[in-house]
Amino acid sequence: MLVAGIDVGVRNVSAVVLRDGDILSYCILTSGEAGATVSRRAVEKAIENTTFDFTDLRYIVATGCGRNGIPFANRQSTEVVCQARGAFHLLPSVRTVINLGAESSRAIRVGEAGRVEAFAKNDKCAAGSGLFLETMSTVLETPVELMGELSLKANGWEDVSSICAVFAESEVISHIHRGVSRDRILVGVHRAVAGRILETLGTVGIKSDVMATGGVAKNAAVVKELEDKTGFSIIVPPEPQIVGALGAALLAQERAAKS
Amino acid sequence: MIDEFRERLLNRHQVAAAWKEQTGGKVLGTFCCCVPEEIIHAAGMLPVRILGEHEETTEVDIHFPTNLCPYCKSCFDQALKGKYDYLDGFVIPNVCNVIKSMYGFCKLLLKAPYVHFVEVPQRLSSNGVNFFAEDLVEFKNSLEDFSGKQISNEALRNSIGVYNENRALLEEVYQLRRKSPPLISGSEAQEIVISSMLMPKEEHNRLLTQLLDWVESRDNLPGDGVRIFISASVLDDTDFLQLVEECGGMVVADDMPMGSRYFYGSVDSTGDALHALADRYLNKIACPRKMLPDERLAFADNMMKDAAVRGTIIHNMRACDPHLYEYPLLRQKMESKGLPVLFFRGEETETEREQQRADIEAFIEMLED
Amino acid sequence: MVTSTSARKSLQTTLEVPALRRSYYAQTQEDSKKGKKVAWCSNNIPSEILDAMDVTAVFLENYATVIASKRLASGFCAAGEKVGFSQDVCGYARMLMGYILARDEAPEAPYGGLAEPDFLLVNSYSCDSRMGWFSAMSRVLNLPLHVHDAPHQPDGASDSAANAEYTERELRSLVTFLEEQTGTKFEPDKLRKRLALSHQTSDIMFEVNELRKAVPCPMGSADMFTAVWPAMYLAGTKECEDFYNKLLAEIKERIAKGIGVVPEEKFRLMWSGIPFWYDMRLINYVEDFGGVVAIEGFYRSRERRPPVQDEDPIKDMALRSTRYRTFPSSIIASIDDVLDAVKEYKIDGVVLSFNPSCRLAYVSQTELQKSLEDRGIPTLGLECDMADERTYSEAQVKTRLDAFIERLLART
Repeated sequence: MLVAGIDVGVRNVSAVVLRDGDILSYCILTSGEAGATVSRRAVEKAIENTTFDFTDLRYIVATGCGRNGIPFANRQSTEVVCQARGAFHLLPSVRTVINLGAESSRAIRVGEAGRVEAFAKNDKCAAGSGLFLETMSTVLETPVELMGELSLKANGWEDVSSICAVFAESEVISHIHRGVSRDRILVGVHRAVAGRILETLGTVGIKSDVMATGGVAKNAAVVKELEDKTGFSIIVPPEPQIVGALGAALLAQERAAKS
Repeated sequence: MIDEFRERLLNRHQVAAAWKEQTGGKVLGTFCCCVPEEIIHAAGMLPVRILGEHEETTEVDIHFPTNLCPYCKSCFDQALKGKYDYLDGFVIPNVCNVIKSMYGFCKLLLKAPYVHFVEVPQRLSSNGVNFFAEDLVEFKNSLEDFSGKQISNEALRNSIGVYNENRALLEEVYQLRRKSPPLISGSEAQEIVISSMLMPKEEHNRLLTQLLDWVESRDNLPGDGVRIFISASVLDDTDFLQLVEECGGMVVADDMPMGSRYFYGSVDSTGDALHALADRYLNKIACPRKMLPDERLAFADNMMKDAAVRGTIIHNMRACDPHLYEYPLLRQKMESKGLPVLFFRGEETETEREQQRADIEAFIEMLED
Repeated sequence: MVTSTSARKSLQTTLEVPALRRSYYAQTQEDSKKGKKVAWCSNNIPSEILDAMDVTAVFLENYATVIASKRLASGFCAAGEKVGFSQDVCGYARMLMGYILARDEAPEAPYGGLAEPDFLLVNSYSCDSRMGWFSAMSRVLNLPLHVHDAPHQPDGASDSAANAEYTERELRSLVTFLEEQTGTKFEPDKLRKRLALSHQTSDIMFEVNELRKAVPCPMGSADMFTAVWPAMYLAGTKECEDFYNKLLAEIKERIAKGIGVVPEEKFRLMWSGIPFWYDMRLINYVEDFGGVVAIEGFYRSRERRPPVQDEDPIKDMALRSTRYRTFPSSIIASIDDVLDAVKEYKIDGVVLSFNPSCRLAYVSQTELQKSLEDRGIPTLGLECDMADERTYSEAQVKTRLDAFIERLLART
């Protein structure tokens, strides 16, 4: 049985095609204006890599903040449930999922059956998010993909201590003017991001195994800071951005099996 | 029939102003559940709870700093905008730092002819009840001075009777929420409670009696949403509970001042009237500012009994210290009962309505899963 | 690591405080080892009563300021936040909860940590945070908690017999609790002696503050924020009285010789609200421009202690605290108070600290600032947590201070 899950995020749309419980293919596209169009294209592109057709899909579930604007989806599901489902499928021993998204980060506690026990979101402050890192990338004139790696090689760090994203930005700028090395500032930035995420985790409580998902999970420095601060080792799946879509696809499978 | 309550809530200013005109009586604004309204009622005046509005504050920000109870700021903003000009005075209880300060601010910035401070004790004790009873003598005296009329003991006992009846009727309404499926929705129940704070109690009793008659044959039942318990600080309108209902949930029981904490616990019908009032208003209102955690959590527990709830929402107004300190314990207690918890740190304007919607939807889906 | 964040002092006597404080904390540890009962207290718990009953009082809020002054607060606060205390709530509370609950994750505690408590005492009447915080500690540490209450009296002094009676009964409840905990009987005479000393000290403090009105100002807030410590925590002791006698003598000498905090005063400031414990040098900053922070709002001793009201020391305490209110309990009184200070101390401008986590101090600040500006008195508002250094940006604060100072200098 062929099903698909779509995660319509702020930055990216990802689509996962599942066949009898196995990931057949996936696709990640950058979201433009028309969420439905991009989402459709993401599914089609994923399908292209298989021997199947869009019409072979039995059931489609959409998640992510744009989930309600997908007319071709059979059902919508919330990100929390999808992240938990997807993470559990990849690692049945997972008990905490830290989803590091573009606009917000959320912590999800997962029970033994892969069901959500508790969740908390940090969205009041931009400083824990991917968009913040993108801003920093511009300010520090460093591509986002290299930030983590450069940070890990640095010698020490410069504190970016402000609690507020706006202040943090001006703090970084003043560090640059003072001639502090970019790599040291990067470490400070990553520490700050991890610090914000930590508050969210506190509400939910951390239990191992811990998995990080979402685009920011690709930043090895943020993950390392989180590991240092929590004392837990954190697993990052090979493609952390598709975990939500995977969960949606799994839900699609469950639904399709019932009908 | 049930819409009558919402009407009174939405048109509260007109309701109070009309009452003034019809009766020639005085209206006093109160903050917080611990003002013994019966004494005001016995003086022939109408006590009304001051509420905020979901609009941006424009007048209050030159007087109050930012990180302060959004409810109090909004209330004061409404007063500064003239929405409460029909009030003849204010009664402020000794509760939290912000409400306490309203006494001075009312005197300084609002030219009200009557502003009275009620020395509600800040801990539960028999010392406190005795003191409170004596302070209520002062309150009664000041109301007599202001109204020009004596308040007889008979009048006090009569008012207590009317208020106790209201409490009993509201408890019955709350029983209807516990049914499966509930006969009254969460937002409707809250409308009913808040409207009680805004109109003459006798009339509210009349409406409640009608409601209880009508509800058994009700045909537009609230629906079968996922059963939720809410423990909140001030939620002074029903928008939030309505949102929960829109997302497929149903708040079937609550622990909050604009809900159960307002009316639970009756006034003793024996003994000295003021002493009986002091006892009820100090010992029976489950306010985290005064009541220690064990008793507070027992109250919350009691409120959710027989309600078959599946999850708990805890909604604390931002910067509300008493509730924020209680939060970790309350959360722990709920989770130990096997109830997942969703926490909100709220604002008066609730501009994060869409964010809240997403979280509530996720919570409901999680509970149904 | 940060070098000293303490303010530069003008008086020799003030320099004795750190040693007094260190020895106080060391003494509490020793007391605990000797088997004396140790009480963790909130600020307004009457230490004279505890002292009279041989109970060692440890005032947590002061310890919080010590942690803050060493810039260790953020580590402790983070530990407290981790276990669920919101960033909205009192920095002191978060910090101490972090210290108790997450000791392994918090930095090393100053003075080797606090003496272990036998019970907790909190006064519920002043600030909301204390109740929540102390009841949380009581639960976590599994220790008895006694809550002490008193009337609010927003209009200030009151002749109400009911208020005095309630205050008295609450004090007696406190005594009963202590008797139960210690197994000893309260002896009124011991309290009477300590009250007499504490009363004398208040008079000296009052005189000290009167003398600070002189031009040039002989002792500013940079000294007083530290020098007030013995009165708050060693009340009723000989040590305390000796300290203030010495302080008074030194001020008198400075006045006689015309010695001020700055040689040529260009402007005089008042500091309203709690200072930023992690950067007390900030108060000295204006001195480089010929300014002095002459007087503070919080902790200011405004009037002489009233005469003894009754032979029974408990009744006496109750009557004095209801009939004579020396601190403002409403915005109206706060405004009068600040205007009075501006006049008496010849103040040119007021710095108001806005500590968002201290609701008690915070709620009045906006209106206070407005009241001053409306009367043409220049003000500067600085918003930072009083203990959590993560909220502080020295560069930003100094920029604003510079602008304020410019404004003041332009007027002279």
